[in-house]
Amino acid sequence: PAALPSAPLGFTDVNLNSRNTYEVSRRRSAPEHLPHGGTAPAEPAPPPQEPAERARHRVGIAGSSFAEFFTRNFFTKRTKELKPAVQSAPGWKLFGKVPPRENLPKDSKIIQQEYEARTGRMYKPPPPSARRKNIEFEPLSTTALILEDRPANLPAKSVEEALRHRQEYDEMVAEAKKREIKEAHKRKKIMRERFKQEENIASAMVIWVNEILPNWEGMRATRRVRELWWQGLPPSVRGKVWSLAVGNELNITPELYEIFLSRAKERWKSFSETSSENDVEDAGASVADREASLELIKLDISRTFPSLYIFQKGGPYHDLLHSVLGAYTCYRPDVGYVQGMSFIAAVLILNLEEADAFIAFANLLNKPCQLAFFRVDHSMMLKYFAAFEVFFEENLPKLFLHFKSYSLTPDIYLIDWIFTLYSKSLPLDLACRVWDVFCRDGEEFLFRTGLGILRLYEDILLQMDFIHIAQFLTKLPEDITSEKLFSCIAAIQMQNSNKKWAQVFASLMKDNKEGDKNHSPAPKT
Amino acid sequence: MAQTVTSGTSPEGLPPSYTYKVVLLGSMSVGKSSLAYRYVRNDFRELLPTVGCSFFTQILQLDEATVKFEIWDTAGQEKYQSVCHLYYRDAQAALLVYDIANKQTLSRAKLWLEEMEKRFLPDEIVIALVGNKTDLAAEREVTTEEGEEFARTKGLLFMETSAKSNHQVNDVFMAIVQELLKREKEKASKPFLHGRSTVELRASGARMRCC
Repeated sequence: PAALPSAPLGFTDVNLNSRNTYEVSRRRSAPEHLPHGGTAPAEPAPPPQEPAERARHRVGIAGSSFAEFFTRNFFTKRTKELKPAVQSAPGWKLFGKVPPRENLPKDSKIIQQEYEARTGRMYKPPPPSARRKNIEFEPLSTTALILEDRPANLPAKSVEEALRHRQEYDEMVAEAKKREIKEAHKRKKIMRERFKQEENIASAMVIWVNEILPNWEGMRATRRVRELWWQGLPPSVRGKVWSLAVGNELNITPELYEIFLSRAKERWKSFSETSSENDVEDAGASVADREASLELIKLDISRTFPSLYIFQKGGPYHDLLHSVLGAYTCYRPDVGYVQGMSFIAAVLILNLEEADAFIAFANLLNKPCQLAFFRVDHSMMLKYFAAFEVFFEENLPKLFLHFKSYSLTPDIYLIDWIFTLYSKSLPLDLACRVWDVFCRDGEEFLFRTGLGILRLYEDILLQMDFIHIAQFLTKLPEDITSEKLFSCIAAIQMQNSNKKWAQVFASLMKDNKEGDKNHSPAPKT
Repeated sequence: MAQTVTSGTSPEGLPPSYTYKVVLLGSMSVGKSSLAYRYVRNDFRELLPTVGCSFFTQILQLDEATVKFEIWDTAGQEKYQSVCHLYYRDAQAALLVYDIANKQTLSRAKLWLEEMEKRFLPDEIVIALVGNKTDLAAEREVTTEEGEEFARTKGLLFMETSAKSNHQVNDVFMAIVQELLKREKEKASKPFLHGRSTVELRASGARMRCC
C-alpha cells in the first residue's frame, strides 16, 4: 500500500487530469465546431467568451444534445475555477470528518495505519485480481469509514464483539474499495471512448473537407465514402453534405427565397391588420382560410424542440423558423403548412444557413414520399405502409404476426416517424444520424430505420398489447443509443425475394392501377 | 358497446370490467394533448404538437365497474382530416375540444360533430363538447351559455375545463364514464337486441383482443 500516493491528492489529480484531457480533446475538435461557409445572419464575430447565441449555434452544428453541450461547456469553465480551490480544500467536505488540507496528513492511508497500529493487525491488501495495476489513485470513500474507539465513559466491548466489528469494518472497506475501483475504471473507459469518438470525428472531418467534398460527384457513390457516411457525418460538414445529397432539382436561388419571404411578410402584416374582422361565426371557408394562413405556423414554432429553448418566442431561431416556413407556404400553396414540418425545418436551420435551409427544405419536401405524406394523400400513404409491411414480415416475422393479431397497422406509428423524419421521435443527435443516411439512401432508409426501431425493441413489444405498443412506439424511450439502433438498422435486409424497396413499391403501385376498381384506397372500416 | 366486456359472466363479487376507446378531436392547439396529459399524469407542460396520434391509458376502479380508458389523442390540423377516420373508428366516446378564447375552434368542433353524426349512430358513441382554457377568461370569445346551448340541442355532454389550472378535467372523463356505464345497464336490460349488434361489431373487424 505504501507505493500508492495519498488518497485525496491522488484522486483530485486524476480528476483534474481527466478534465484537462477533456479540455484538450475539445480544443482538438474545435475547428469542426466552427461555422462553415459563413455565419448565421446577425451573428457577431466569435468573441473569446462564447455568448449564448453562439453557443446555441454550435449546438446546432454539433448536432449533439443541448444538455450535453452545456455539460461540456461547464467542464471547461469549471476547470479554471476549480484549480485554485484544489490547492486549499478539495471537494472533501462530503464526508465531514475528513480534515481540511491544513491537517492533510490524516488522510485515509494514515487513518488506516493508525487503525492498524491500534488494533495490532496489518491491513492486508485485497487480492491482486480485485486491484488491477495502473490505478494511479487510492479509492476515496473508505476514508469515511472510521472505526472509532468506544468512548471512555461506556463499558468496553466484549472480545467477540470487538472482533466481529473489526471484521465487519474490514469487509466494508474492502467492498468500498472494490466498488470505487470499478467505478473509476468505468469513468476512464467512458472518457477514453469519448476521446476516441472525438478523434474519429476530427479525422473524418479532414477526409470530408479535403478529399470528398472537393470531388463530390466522383466520390459520393464510392464504397469508401458510403461507409464513412454510414458512420455519421461530422457536424461541421453535415449541413453541406445534406445540401449536396438532397440537391436542388427545383433550382431555388437565395434571391427566390427572399422574394417568397417578403411575400410571406406582407401576408402576415395584412393578416394582423384584418384579424379582428376575421372572427365571424361562419365556419367552413374562414376556418380553412385561417388554416392556410401563416398564422398557424406561429402556434407550432414555439412548440418545436421546446427543450432547446431556441425556437420559442424571443429565442434566437424563432424568427428564422417562422421565415423559412412562411416562405414555404407562399412558395408551395398547394402543400401549405402541415404539422410536422416545423421539426424538419428546425433540424435544417440548426445545420444550415437560412437560405440554404430553405432550399434544402423545399427540395426535401418535393421528394415523392414526403410529398405524398405532406399532401396527406392517404391512398399513397397506404402504398408506403404496404411496402413497409412487406419488409416488416420479411425481417421480423414474429413481431409482424403479433401486430397483425391486434390489427395494429403501421399508420399508428409510421405517420409520426415519417412526417417528422424521426426528428420528433428520436433524440436530436440520433435523428441527425438517421438523416445522414436518409440523404444517402433516400426514402427507403426511413422505413429501414422504422424496422430497426422495431427490431431493437422486439422483445418488449412482443409482450405488449395494442394500446401499449401504440403508446410505446409513439413515445420511444429517451435512452435509445445510436450504436444499438444503428446495429439494428444494419441487420435489416431491404431485400424481398431479390426485390429491393423501389421494386416492391413500384409493383404495389402497379397493382393499384390494375385493381383500382376492386381495391378502393379507402381503409377498412 | 365496450370492446372487452366481462359483465354478466364475471365471477361473483367482482365488478365487471370495460375497455373504452376515447378519441380527442378538435382544432390544433386547443389543448387536446394537454387535457389527456392532465387527466392521466395530472401535470401540465409544454407539449409537442401531435403528429398523427398519441396514446394514453387510464384505469378507473369504480364501485360498479373497472373501466380502462384507451385515449387516442389526434393531430388537430385540418389537413390531417383524411387520416383521422383511422383514429376515431370504433371509438366509444369522443371529446370535441375547442378553445374558449378562439371562436373559430368552436365552429371546427361543430364540423367534427357533423362528421361523427355521419359515422356513428347516436347510441354508438358518447360525445362531450369541451371548452378548454378557462384560465384564459380575459380573452374569452365563447360564452359558457353558447357552448352549453349548442351541446343541449345536440344532446352532448358539456363542460368547460382548464388543463393548465386543472379545472374540471377529471370531471369530464367521469361524466363520460357515468354515461357509458348507464348505457351498459340499459343495454343489459334488453340483451337480445344488443347481443346481436355486438356480434356484428366484432365480425366487422373490430379489434380482437384478449382480456
